Parts: sequence; structure tokens; C-alpha cells
Amino acid sequence: MKKYILIIIIISLTLFIISGCEGPDQSNQKSITVAEQYGLAYAPVQLVKELGLLNNEDSDIKVEWKQLSNTTSIRESMLAGEVDIAFMAIPPFLIAKDKGMKWKIISGLSESPLGLMTNREYIKTLADFKDEDKIALPQPGSIQHILLSMAAQRNFKETDKFDDQLLTMNHPDAMNALLAGREVSAHFASPPYLFLESKEAGIKKILSGGEAFGGDFTFIIGVSTEEFYQQQSENYTLFLKALREAIEFIEQNPAEVSELLADNYDLSQTEMEEYLTWPGMEFTTEIKGLEEFLAFMTAEGYLEKKDYQRSELIFAEKNDLEDRENNEAEQKRGAAKNGE
Amino acid sequence: MGNKYHQRLIWITVLALIWQLTALSGIFSEMIFPGLDHIFLALIESFKDGTLVKQIIFSLSIIIQGLFLATAAALILALSSYFSESAAGLIDTLTALAHPLPGIALMPLILIWFGSGRTAILIVIIHSVLWPLILNLSTGFNSIPDIYTLIAENYRLNKLEFMFKILIPASLPYFISGLKIAWARSWRALISAEMLFGAINSLGGLGWFIFQKRVFFDLPGVFAGIIVIIVIGVTVEDFIFKKIEIRTVKKWGMLK
Repeated sequence: MKKYILIIIIISLTLFIISGCEGPDQSNQKSITVAEQYGLAYAPVQLVKELGLLNNEDSDIKVEWKQLSNTTSIRESMLAGEVDIAFMAIPPFLIAKDKGMKWKIISGLSESPLGLMTNREYIKTLADFKDEDKIALPQPGSIQHILLSMAAQRNFKETDKFDDQLLTMNHPDAMNALLAGREVSAHFASPPYLFLESKEAGIKKILSGGEAFGGDFTFIIGVSTEEFYQQQSENYTLFLKALREAIEFIEQNPAEVSELLADNYDLSQTEMEEYLTWPGMEFTTEIKGLEEFLAFMTAEGYLEKKDYQRSELIFAEKNDLEDRENNEAEQKRGAAKNGE
Repeated sequence: MGNKYHQRLIWITVLALIWQLTALSGIFSEMIFPGLDHIFLALIESFKDGTLVKQIIFSLSIIIQGLFLATAAALILALSSYFSESAAGLIDTLTALAHPLPGIALMPLILIWFGSGRTAILIVIIHSVLWPLILNLSTGFNSIPDIYTLIAENYRLNKLEFMFKILIPASLPYFISGLKIAWARSWRALISAEMLFGAINSLGGLGWFIFQKRVFFDLPGVFAGIIVIIVIGVTVEDFIFKKIEIRTVKKWGMLK
């Protein structure tokens, strides 16, 4: 019996030691960790990185860029406290929010054309899909999946009509499979894959993101944890400023941006510019379609909690931010005066 | 025997208790470290709506099929390398090349050649099982005491009789431990393949089940899937393999 007690003590001690190891000096350091992902819709984030916009604002700030392959792993590393700011579509954000993750939207990033592309001649509309036709998309619960469900609901009153035909694939694999034309009949693509596929003979678009959604919507949003927002509000503000600068730059000067980013995307400069200015490709901080996604996903059981206030989902908006900056400036001035 | 299960039960209880206390203590957020109550609720929920049972059957059927095919192939290859020297050279080379190669590394190729369906998962399983089985079988065949082969010659057994009456029974301990390795490796291969390849008719096996729970940010659900894998693994090890050993190699006095 003594032996057992000893071992139990050792195990519990180990557990406490492990829990004590958690993050040493997290709060006071000036550092931001940003998760990046590949895709044209993330161009402003790439621009912030390439131009070092954050360091322009504050040369002391330490920025770490983390390459993560998909939304799920980004979410997980944010939960583990390894990433402060990330970019993703609205549905994966809402799913984690609903499960209790403490995070909110910083800003919109981009709107983008999306499309369900098929390589089958007999598929002209959604109704032409046979049971054995497989549709490739990133993962269940992704924006592509939710859009497909929305279209299925609108056309057939059957949200999960295509759920048995989904194949989880990342975009590059899905594009290869679509071009190979065997396993996969359709791919819900985003740029640049959407553009590359639309240039191929025999591949056509049968449904656009807008048609599925029934209007315009924000494709990618920036998100951050409440912890980062509260504990490092200065860095938060800095990042937001840099991001807005980048978005403005792209909108006003796509040619120059294309030159800067072409290498990042392994595209020629002309291609890059063509893609950045493709109809429907918009870079804006505005957040569109949040309510619609929320309503649909709640109605169809993807989310459990209802009635989110806008303020529960989005961090204090632009005006508040400027107010806060002014307040801070005033406080500093006040402090300086007091010091005199 | 009874003592072993007794001990195991005690340890599982202790570990579960520590787990639950850690969860209740609130050191970690509930999203990172869910309590056992949440996990078992998720497990019961998944059993109730039938999804889990379907996935278990799907996974097990692929594994059994894969193990069966791989065992048959390994037997044929190991036997031919025992009887023919040139075959031995070829099989030895193939094993040396393919054995260290993880199935996951082959995924991109398999995806292109076989698509992402059931066949692909089956091939990953066979690949990860076949080579260790061949190695074990060959070692078993080659470590048979000379006296056995001499007896076979004495009795003028033909090759088939020699194989089934002497060679295979005499190397059974190696065969069984090879099968145990194969079983464990096939589970690993299966789960990772299922996670990568995505669902086919929403039937993607246990790996897919876990992946889906992960995507929907349902950590208790992830743990529920893991528990099912553990339970199946332990059951097969403790009941099926133990029973086979008791009835054969232990009864024959080849294994203590």
C-alpha cells in the first residue's frame, strides 16, 4: 500500500510541476504572434509582414509570424495561448465562440469570390449531382461547407443534402483531384485556386458564394483573444492600425502591392494584379453577413447558444478605438503635466 | 491473471481520479481539459445517435480486411523467401526499402493513385503491417531447430506438409508477436489515414469521428473517440491474443 501512495504522490507532484511551467513572462513583453495562412484573401496580412508595418509604428515591437496549415490548428494554438491574432472565415469563428472560446472579431479583412467548380459535363446546377459525385472542401464547419448547406437549404429545403458526399481536402489537393477528374466531381474553391481552375478547359462554376449566401458577405475576418485585447491593448491598437494601412494600400495601389507580393504567392506580377483586382475581390474592414451566418447556423443546429449581441462578437469598433486612443493620449498629457 | 486485472483496475481508478481533480481544480480551462463527466456524456451521446457505432464498424471492418490480406501476403512472401534464395534476396531488399517508410509519407502518392476512398486506407494499413510481419515470420522460420527439419526429412514430408505441420507451428510464437505488432500498427495507420482522407458517405471511421469533433471544437467528443480506441485495443490484446496464446503456444509449452 505504501508503494501506491508514493506513486500517487509522485504523479500529482508531476502534474503540479507541469501546470507551473505554463508560460513564464507573457504579459509584459511587447510581442504579437500572428497566424498566417496561404490564400489571396489574406493579402493585407502578408503586406503587413512584408512591409514591416508593425515595426513602422513601434520599432520595439516583436512580431512573430506563425505558419499554420488550417483553421482548426490556428484555433487550437490560440486556445493554447500561442497565437494572439489570426484570420479565418466567420463560421469557424462562430463555432468556437459557441463552444465557449473567449475571442472576438477585430475587423473584416476581405470579401472574395468563391465558387463551386465541377469537372462533370452533366452537372449544370446543384440538382444534377448524383449520389456518387464527391464534393471536395476544406472541412466540415468551414465557410465552404456552410455555404453549400445554405444553398441546399434554399434549393431543396434540405440542409444536409450533400453532407454524405463531402471529401475533406485542402485546396491544393482538391484542385489537383478536380483536374485529375476521377475521385472528385466538384470543389468549393477560393482564390487563387478558384481563378486557376476557372482557366482550365472543361471546368465550370455552377454556384458562386454570393448565390449560396444570397448576397455579399465577408470571407475573412481578423480575430483575437479577449486576453490579448485587454492585456496588450496598445499592441492590439498598433496591429489594427497597421492592418488598416495595409488594406488601404491594396485598395488604392494594387499594382505596387502586386509587385511586392507576387513572389509570396509564386505568381507573376501581372497575374497577381489580375487576381487582386478580380471582380468581387474586395479588401475592406467592414464586416458583412455576420447576422445571416449566425441566424442560419443557429437554425440548423451548428450553434447552440442564441441571441449573441454584436458587442459579444466584435471588439469595440472604430470610433471607440479612436476615442480610446485620444483618451490615452490625453491621459499621457495629463500625466506629463502632473510630472512637471 | 486475476491479480493483473485487479491492479489495472486500481490504477485506472487512480488515474481517473487525478484527471477529474485536475479538471475540477480549474488550473486549465474547461476547453483544454474537460472533466470525465463531460467526456462520458459525449461518449453516451455519440453512442445514442448511432454515429459512433457506425464508425466503429467501418474502422474494424477495414482493419480486419487489411490484417487478413497483409497476413496472407506476408505468409506467402516469407515462405517463398524461406524456400528460394533469389526470392529471399528480392523480399529482403523490398523489406529493407519499405519497412522504415511511414505510411503517412506515402499519402500524397496514394491519394493520386488510388483516390481517397476505402482502398486508399486499406493500402496504408497493408503497407504498415506487411513488412514487420514478414520480418517476424522470416525470423521465426529461420530460428527453427535443425532437428525439426531433420525429422521432416526422416518422415519424408513434402513441402506442403512440412509447411503446415512443422514450419508454421514451430514458428508460431514469432507469428503471434508479429500479429500483435501488426494489430497495433494497423490501428495507428488506420486512424491517421482516416483523419487525412476525409469521409466517404459520411462514413470515415473512428479517425474521421475524432477529426470531425476536433473541427467542431468538441474536445469531450475527441476524448470519447480516443477512449473507444483504447477500449478496443485493450480488449483485442487481452482477450483475442491472450486466448490464442493460451490455446496454442502456451499449451504446447513454447511460451511461459
